[in-house]
Amino acid sequence: MIEVERLTKTFTIHQKEPGLKASIRSLFVREKVSKTAVKEVSFEVGEGEIVGVVGANGAGKTTLVKMLAGIIHPTSGDARVLGFRPWERPRAFTRQIALLMGQKAQLWWDLPAADSFLLLREIYQIPEDKFRSSLDYLVSVLGAKDQLTTQVRRLSLGERMKMELIAALLHSPRVVYLDEPTLGLDLTAQRAIRDFLLCYREEHRPAMILTSHYMEDIERLCKRLLIVREGELVFDGPLEKVVQTYADHKVVTAHLHKRPEPVRETPELRAMGQVDACDDVLIKLRVPRPRVAEVAAELLRRYPVADLAIEEVDVGTIIERIIGAPKEADTAQVRP
Amino acid sequence: MRLFWSIAGVEARKRMSYRADFWLSSFVAFGTELGVAYFIVLAMVPVAGRLGGFSRDGMLLYYVAIILTARIVWSLDLDREISDDIYQGALSRYLLYPVSYGVLKYAAQIGALAPAIVQVILFSACVPFVLGLPEGIRITPATAAMALGAVAVANALHFLVTYPIRLVAFWADNCWSLLWAHRLVATLFGGLLLPLAMFPSWSQPLLNALPFRYMFAFPVDALLGRVTPVEYATGMAIALGWCGVAAVLSAGVWRRGTLQYTGVGM
Repeated sequence: MIEVERLTKTFTIHQKEPGLKASIRSLFVREKVSKTAVKEVSFEVGEGEIVGVVGANGAGKTTLVKMLAGIIHPTSGDARVLGFRPWERPRAFTRQIALLMGQKAQLWWDLPAADSFLLLREIYQIPEDKFRSSLDYLVSVLGAKDQLTTQVRRLSLGERMKMELIAALLHSPRVVYLDEPTLGLDLTAQRAIRDFLLCYREEHRPAMILTSHYMEDIERLCKRLLIVREGELVFDGPLEKVVQTYADHKVVTAHLHKRPEPVRETPELRAMGQVDACDDVLIKLRVPRPRVAEVAAELLRRYPVADLAIEEVDVGTIIERIIGAPKEADTAQVRP
Repeated sequence: MRLFWSIAGVEARKRMSYRADFWLSSFVAFGTELGVAYFIVLAMVPVAGRLGGFSRDGMLLYYVAIILTARIVWSLDLDREISDDIYQGALSRYLLYPVSYGVLKYAAQIGALAPAIVQVILFSACVPFVLGLPEGIRITPATAAMALGAVAVANALHFLVTYPIRLVAFWADNCWSLLWAHRLVATLFGGLLLPLAMFPSWSQPLLNALPFRYMFAFPVDALLGRVTPVEYATGMAIALGWCGVAAVLSAGVWRRGTLQYTGVGM
């Protein structure tokens, strides 16, 4: 449904030093710099797939989504969404897509949401019976009935986001872009939005691209992940593969029977792996994957172990490390 | 068309809900404009004399009519809305809709006229009692119908002529100065400041060929019975021709502009 081939977007940005002198100078001469927001990105997304796009601020996630929604033109490369070039914006394309931007209101601010939905019915030419059934379904799943007649500007952020979701999905789009849909929401509202998206995906099977800073969004909603760093796609694959690819160690935690003396960080212990913690009740080590079994056995033999846990490193931690790493860091591209 | 009128209806409902703004603009804005026009006419036209073919009362009626016409042609404050959409990135949501942005905005402009139309009807109803019908001016159902048609075209013409100017916001952060320049030129050459008959005779063919006359003075001349049917038909043809030129220009500027659009803003 979405095919992206070496998509690139370069912006030209004016630069100005602070101060009055620089302001006057900028009336006559302006310094321009080129910034490549998205660099030769290629991937595909199929029907019913939710793909998470993560990256630091300014990594190019939103620019990528804007290009795929047809809002901005790429500098080079190509993309096909439902067989259309998005930036040509043919009606048959715009009727089948939706973009929800968490940081931007897309509803009419002064109108109750119900009035906006009626307008959207006209804009998308949704037949009356289909409009009614879609609206009833979305309102009931999101539990938003009581807010329909309130002016949008008077709604709380969580309530507004529910209305934005209804507005985005009323016309049953086949491709949905969600740009930070849970931004600024409290934990309950975040959970409600995530549950809704999973439910909607099961019932309607659209292709979805989700950008988010919240790892919980990604872990709950996406089986596949794209990691963007400084405009480049540095990882494209299943979520669990991030751990296998980038985490060369596991965390081994031994809970001990209470000892009179805390465990010392001896050379023998350090030889097993990197010591994260050791005291009278706990030893926590980061152990290279090939040595996990051997180290576990060693711990059981040497210490009064009550419980032993072998865990993968938290995926959020790994992703944060990847997106925060400098470009030269060792993060080879992965394309399954 | 249903979508067009739905958008217009929403905008009309929104504008009509601002009650304080409605009455303030009715009395403060209209009152000021009409007051200024009244004193200008008193200063310009002698009691028994004529200027530009108008008697003093006739000139007063011209100014009242052209101020009311301008209110309908200019709409309210949508001049800046399109450039603000581009500047603030609000255009993004409209680009996602399977509808032309220009059509959506024109529908909104028509809807935004609702308070102005109510004001114009209220003031027009008072005019015969305050000014009467000056000698030499005949307003008939036929001239009123001609004026209505001319006002409708004037509104579209004004929107289409200013549309490419507003789209300059794709390239410049601030294009309001261009809109002000347009407003000044349109005010002068559209007959809002002075009746066009007062301009030198050598400039008349030029004024007839430019689009500004058809935005303001032409509907008023039609209402006051100052144009023959042939002149009316010619004027409407010229106005529609300018609409076509402006539409083609707008389409070109839009195409180039959207290539530049970055979708960033507040």
